[in-house]
Formats: sequence, C-alpha cells, structure tokens
Amino acid sequence: MRRSSCRKQDEVLIDRLEIYQMFPVICVSVSTAAIIRLHERFEFLDKDQTGQLRPEDLSTLPKLDFNPIGDRIISAFFPPGKETLDFASFVRILAHFRPTDKNHARGGVLQAPASSSTGKLKFAFQLYDQDGDGKISRAELFQALRAMLGLRVTEEQLESIAERAIQEADLDRDDAISFDEFRKSLEKVDIDHKMSIRFLR
Amino acid sequence: MPSRGAPHSPAGQGLPERGLLLLMVLLFLQGSVLPFGAASSPDVSQPAGLNPHKVADVGHNVTKKAFPVLIFDYQHIQAPFEISLWVLLASLMKLGFHLIPRLSSIVPESCLLIVVGLLVGGLIKLAGEDVPPVLDSRLFFLCLLPPIILDAGYFLPIRPFMENLGTILMFAVVGTLWNAFFVGGLLYAVCQIQPNNPSVLHQLELLPCLLFGSIISAVDPVAVLAVFEEIHINELLHILVFGESLLNDAVTVVLYHLFEEYSGVGVVTVMDVFLGIISFLVVALGGVLVGAIYGILAAFTSRFTSHTRVIEPLFVFVYSYMAYLSAEMFHLSGIMALIACGAVMRPYVEANISHKSHTTIKYFLKMWSSVSETLIFIFLGVATVDGDHDWNWTFVTVTVILCLVARVIGVVGLTFIINNFRIVKLTTKDQFIVAYGGLRGAIAFSLGFLLDKEHFPMREMFLTAIITVIFFTVFVQGMTIKPLVELLAVKKKQEAKRSINEEIHTQFLDHLLTGIEDICGHYGHHHWKDKLNRFNKKYVKKCLIAGERSKEPQLIAFYHKMEMKHAIELVESGGGVKLPSAMPSTVSMQNIQPKKPPPAKPVERALPQLPRGREEEIRKILRSNLQRTRQRLRSYNRHTLVADPYEDGFSEFLLKKQKMMELEKKIKHMNNYLTVPAAPPDSPTMRRARLASDPQSYNVKPASDSVPSIQVDLASPQSPDSVNLMDEFRRAEQEEEDRGLMMRPPGDGHAAKDQQKLMRCLSDPGPSPDEDEDEPFLP
Repeated sequence: MRRSSCRKQDEVLIDRLEIYQMFPVICVSVSTAAIIRLHERFEFLDKDQTGQLRPEDLSTLPKLDFNPIGDRIISAFFPPGKETLDFASFVRILAHFRPTDKNHARGGVLQAPASSSTGKLKFAFQLYDQDGDGKISRAELFQALRAMLGLRVTEEQLESIAERAIQEADLDRDDAISFDEFRKSLEKVDIDHKMSIRFLR
Repeated sequence: MPSRGAPHSPAGQGLPERGLLLLMVLLFLQGSVLPFGAASSPDVSQPAGLNPHKVADVGHNVTKKAFPVLIFDYQHIQAPFEISLWVLLASLMKLGFHLIPRLSSIVPESCLLIVVGLLVGGLIKLAGEDVPPVLDSRLFFLCLLPPIILDAGYFLPIRPFMENLGTILMFAVVGTLWNAFFVGGLLYAVCQIQPNNPSVLHQLELLPCLLFGSIISAVDPVAVLAVFEEIHINELLHILVFGESLLNDAVTVVLYHLFEEYSGVGVVTVMDVFLGIISFLVVALGGVLVGAIYGILAAFTSRFTSHTRVIEPLFVFVYSYMAYLSAEMFHLSGIMALIACGAVMRPYVEANISHKSHTTIKYFLKMWSSVSETLIFIFLGVATVDGDHDWNWTFVTVTVILCLVARVIGVVGLTFIINNFRIVKLTTKDQFIVAYGGLRGAIAFSLGFLLDKEHFPMREMFLTAIITVIFFTVFVQGMTIKPLVELLAVKKKQEAKRSINEEIHTQFLDHLLTGIEDICGHYGHHHWKDKLNRFNKKYVKKCLIAGERSKEPQLIAFYHKMEMKHAIELVESGGGVKLPSAMPSTVSMQNIQPKKPPPAKPVERALPQLPRGREEEIRKILRSNLQRTRQRLRSYNRHTLVADPYEDGFSEFLLKKQKMMELEKKIKHMNNYLTVPAAPPDSPTMRRARLASDPQSYNVKPASDSVPSIQVDLASPQSPDSVNLMDEFRRAEQEEEDRGLMMRPPGDGHAAKDQQKLMRCLSDPGPSPDEDEDEPFLP
C-alpha cells in the first residue's frame, strides 16, 4: 500500500468533507460507505496520482479487455471531448448502479434519479447509441451484436438477427429502436435487480 | 356403499355426468378386482404359481382328465395386473376430473385424488378384504418419487434458482431445523404438562418427539408442485417454495437418521450433534456431487449418440435413476442428487440430441411424473383407510397448531434476516404466500411409516397425526390458496415467451455489469457468473458437446430455436411459408413475420397483373381443358386451378411437373400453327416451373398473378382464343422481362447452404413451450 492505513483514514475523512461540500448531490444518492470504497478504488486506478482518471487508467484493467463491450463502457465514462475524469463524475456515473430504493419517494426531484430503472436503462441505451441521436439504428445494433458475438458468427447471421430484433421491437416503423421501444422490449426483465451492484447502496 | 347416485337428466347425459358415471364404474371395477387379487395372499400365490407345472408333471401319472379349454389363472399375472390397474385408475381419474368443469377449478387435483383413494380404500375394506399395503416405503422412495423429482430437476429454471439460492438455502436448512426443534420441543413440553391425568402421552420422550418434529417439518415437493402448478404464481415465489421443498431433503434425512439412531439410547451428546452437522454437509454435498458426476457422464455419452438417436432418451432416464440409487445407497440425499444430475446434464444433452429425442424426454418425464403424483395421492387415501389409527385429540391438535405457528414464525423471522442481503426484498404478501405454501405430503407419511414398531410404540399415533397434518395442509391450505392469491392480488406468472430483443439486451447488460463490477473492483454476482461462463465455454463445452455446436454462441442457438418455433407455428396455422431457397433476400433463415407483412419479394412483384376480363376468359379456357384432371385435385380453389400446395406437396409437385410436360408439348404444337415466334422452351415461365426445387414455391397466389405464368393455354390449336392467348402470353412475357424479373435461381450455393442450415436446425432440440426452457445455460 502506498500509504499507511491511519493516514489514509484521515485523508479519506478530509476528502469526505470536501465531497460533502462540493458535491452535495452525490451524497444524497450514494451512501458514505460506498463513497469511501469508491474513493479507494479511484485512487487505486489513478496510477499517476493526479486526482483525475484517464482512459488509459481504465483500459489497463485486464478483465475489461476481455469484455466485448469494454471499450464502450470506458467511453461512457469519458464522453467525447473530455479526457479526464474526476472523482465526482466517477461516482455520479456509478450511482446509476445503485440498488433502486422503491420505498422512498423522492419528493422535489425534477427528473427521475439516476439510480431508478429509467436512469439505468438510459445509461444502457447510451452504450448502444454511439452517435447519440436517441435511436439505435440497424447499423448500431449490428455493431453491438458483432462485438458480443465476435468472429464466430457469419455476417449473414448477424444481419438476420439484427433484422429480426429491429422488426420485433420497432413499433413505429422508423427502422430504429427508440428509448421507449427499448424500454418496452425489456419490460419483463427486472432491471432493478439486474443492473444493481449491492455495495453501492 | 357410498353412492353418488346416477344423475337423472331428462335430456340425456351431458359430459360431466358421463364423467361421474365413468368414475362410478371404475370404482366398482377396482373394488371388485382388487379384493379378489388381495385374497390371494402372497404365500398362497407361490405354490399356486408352481401348481400348473406340477399338475402338468403329475398329470402324466394320473388318469387323463378332459383337456381344459379355458383356464382362469389369475395368480399368474397378479402382480403386474394389479399394478397396471392402479396406474389405469390413476390416469382415468385424472381424465375424469377435467371432464367435470366446475370441480377442477375449485378443488385442487390433489384433494380429489386423496378422496378417490379414500373411496377405493373404503370399498376394499367393505368388501372385506385386506387393503394391499400400497404406500410401502420402498415402493414410494424407489419408484414413485424419482420421476417427479427428475421432472422437477430437469426443467428447473436455473437462473431464478441461482439468483435466489441464498434465500432458498436459508429457508431450507435453517427453516427446517427451526421447525423441527420448535415442534418437537414444544410437543414434548405439552405432553409433559398433564400431571393430573396420566395419559399415554407421558411416555413420550424427548427424542421421539424431536424425531416426529423432524418428520413433520419438511415441506413436501410433491404437494407443493401439485398445488402451485394450478395457481400460476409468479416465478420468484414459486422457486422459493419449490426450491425449499427440494433442498430440505438433506436436512430431513440427517435429522431423521440422527434421532432414529439415538432414540433407542435416549441420549444425544454434543459429539453426536457435531457429527450430525458433519453428516449434513456430507449428505448434501455428497448428493450433489454424485448427481453432478452422473450428469456429466450422461452429457458425455450423449455426445456420441448421433447414430443411434432412438435410445437417446434412455440415457437421460437411466443415468438419472442411477444417480438417485447411488446416492440412496450411501444414505446421501437422493433428491439433491437427482436435481443436480438433471440440472447439470441438461444444457449439454440438449445441444447434442435430436429434436425428437428432446420431445420424447420431455413428454416421458411429464407423463411419468404425472402418473406418479396421481398414484401417490390415491395411495395416501388408501393408506389412510387401511392403517391402524390411534387418535389422540391433544396430540393431533397440538401438532397441527404447532406446525402452522412454527412455519409462520420461521418464515417471518428468516425473511427479516434475509432482507438485509437481498436486492429485491420480500414483501409481507410474499412472506404470507411462502408460509402458507408450506405443504406437507407423502414423504412425511412414508418416513413415519418406516419407523420401527419396536422402538417407537407411538408409531400409530405419529402416523395419525402425520396424516391429519397432511390432510389439513393439502385440503385446507391447498383449496384456499387460490382464492387468497386472487384476494391479495399477488403477482402472477407472466406467460409470454422470451423475445430475441430480451435475449440480446440481457446479454448486453450482463457484459455491462461485469465491466462495471471490474471497474469498481467488486467481485460480485456477475463476476463469478462471467467466470463460470468463460470456463464453461472454454473447457466444458468442448468435451461434452458434439461437433461444431460446441462453438455456437448462446445467442445463435437461441435464435435458431426461435426461428424453428415460428416456422412450425406458421406451417401449422397454414400461413404462407416460403423456404429460403425461394427467397432472394439476404436473410439466411426464414424471415417469417406472422404479425407484420413480409418484406416485398421481387418474385411477386414481377408477376404481371392482367385486366379482369382477360383473366376470366383465360380461366374459363383453362377450366374446360383441365376437366379430366379435376378428380385428382384434392382441393378446388376458385382462383387457381392448381391444387392447394399445402396438401401433400410432393404429389402435387409431380402433378404439376406432368402438366408442364404437357404444356411444353402443346406449345411446340402451336408453334407449328402460328407464325408468331413462340416463346422459347426456356421461357421465364418454364424456367420458373423448373425452379421448383421444393414443392412449396407454388403458393396460393391471387389469380391475376399465377394464371398467365403457369397455366398458359392448354387449349387445342383449334380453339378460337388460342391466338389471342398466345399474344397475351407473349405480351406478359415481355412485361415480365421488362420488369427485370429475377429469374435465375438464387445461387445454387446459397440454396445448398440454406438446406444445410435447415437440416441442422431440424436436428436441433426443438421448440419448447415453456419459456424457461429457452434460456441458455447461466445467462
């Protein structure tokens, strides 16, 4: 470990105060324990100690290489134009995967919070929709399928699957899947369960 | 004789009444034959069996008797005959209940079957004979129980099971232990608190009480299956209760043997408890291990069965049964072995076996488990009538109350603890259903039956109490659970099938979550699932799945299954199916969209549209010329004079081929008469006719399309219309060519490849109505 544990505690406490002051929004959605853990992780990933993450830091994770959509995930953290990621944004993105708290009504929040099922689905939708036009076109679906299935499958089969998927989901016949159609096709899947990471509670 | 009374309806007997009558007849039959069979007690049957032979030998020395023309030799076939009769009764009962519409919606089948058993038992007793000991423990555990468990294990929905495994284990292990000790302990306490009237209960010691508690506390998979199947509750609750009933077998086995072993001695030391815990782990994990080994063996064997498809199902059944028997041999948990065997072998076996074998396995399992279940309930009824009962009001009522109370407290307490660890929490409604669904069944009875009379003088009292609890749970809880589910508006099972979108997106989300977990550095659920999947793909699938299918990604397998299913549905509904070789699109598999209009195909569009008047004329001409073949056309359609291609495609194809030959001959004839250059023999129409490599390309198309193309003038050269028709034909041909009809057969290679793909698809494990079966292994 780079630092001794007690020094880390102090630093974490100081960081926590800073976080509370600067980013009150995060504290509402993610618990303190989770923030501490994420902070530790952030520092682990931040190899050159700048306090900001860069794409290379994330892509050095070996398992992410294996992941068929690893590069898309990384680009979700680094939207086009931004080369660095600070801790607040890191937490904000990961807050999407907080288990949904169905029992507490969130009064006064204008939009659905990020951790609601809509927020989660929006995040997933953005990973499909590379060009950001709000629809998953046939080509984008094809790309995603190609990424997931690799080279084991022929072009033809991929096309037919993409074709089939679009025809099934595309209700307004615009040859692309909009967010609502995406949500509808996943209505039987328990999104809250599937897209939650427990320790982020 | 209890008589339901034959209904007297003036207007003749309707179906429900017929069903009742059938039941009555059967009961009489059963009542008459069985006592007769039972009369020949086992020790008589042996010499009776030998007698015919002896008589034959002796016959040589004795004076000659008249040759018997007709002999009635019941003993010869007694045992198999009686077994068959019972099975027949069970099956006819099942049939009968569904013929009586109102009854089956109010009363669950299990209750009706128990009632039937009671009636049959009553009949036999009234006939004065001994009731055959039908619910013999060996028969139950070795013959009746395995099919049900195998059916459950083979079709176990793995994904919800694994996701809720922690909860299920908590309920199964901790819940059952709590139930056993609570019921046993309090029962003992209650039995001791009657100092004024020294009753029989005082003799009951702690250990037999605990033993009784452990027998009665186990939730029974057969009863749960029977009742829950009819209420169609949502997947989560179903898997919770059902999983619990399966996994508590290990606990029950250990507790039962532990207390039985030491009841004689009367004292259990700490060492024994410790050994008991170790024994539990051995029993549970050992059972699973044995099952998994046999499962892998079965999967491996199925890899080589491509040449002997006929016996494929047999491997599945025999390996599973052997897993069960092997586990029972070591007193491990046979139920867990069966579940493990079925669950492990299924993904690999399904990838290897043919469509037909898959169907066979599915239907055999369903059939056996259904018959077994029916028999078990009937036997429960019969055994109730038969056994010596020792009714003790205190004991029985206290048992029933304690069982209920223990169950409720157990479920509520455990849920409170478990909810801290669950993402999707269990609500009060869920808890209620889980508690209410804790039904006891025949396993408890059989375990009680196994008790030795010597060591347990209270055996009859135990049995009575067990039967009462079983009756209470099955009748009261079983009958009321359906209205309660409606009342509480518990979420029901969603019947719809899984779509390709769901499949794709679920996989996508899995990858996403794995990636996010990696970024967080959290070794969660998805991480391990991913690791297991990778291991599975890399090593296991290569060994256990034959040929190229081992490399096939899950999504593709799912997609193929779905397309097959749709294809079969479409053909069955008589829709317009076009096989890929006739379609010029890039879609390699059938692009069947029953809901949406199919993408326009150039072949259709290129067929010219004739003006209506012309069409009528042509049709008239053709009709008159096709007179002689009319009797061979099976379906006469006003629009086409070609028989409906869906009936017996191949013979139609031959018919058409023959007509083509005639057509070509006639055209050649006409060429001699007309100066108009006739259509070359290789005209588009001829070519298209030859294209028909599959009979189904002759679709039922509107007349305007098909008439000029195929049924061109067969009129004799003297027909006044012939010349006009030829012009028409030529014009049509030119129109076709102008529109650039795509006439070359879609590349032969393409067709061949599609045929291959289709063949492989046909050898795939086929469609399954159950949506859960569509899921890939560990999605």
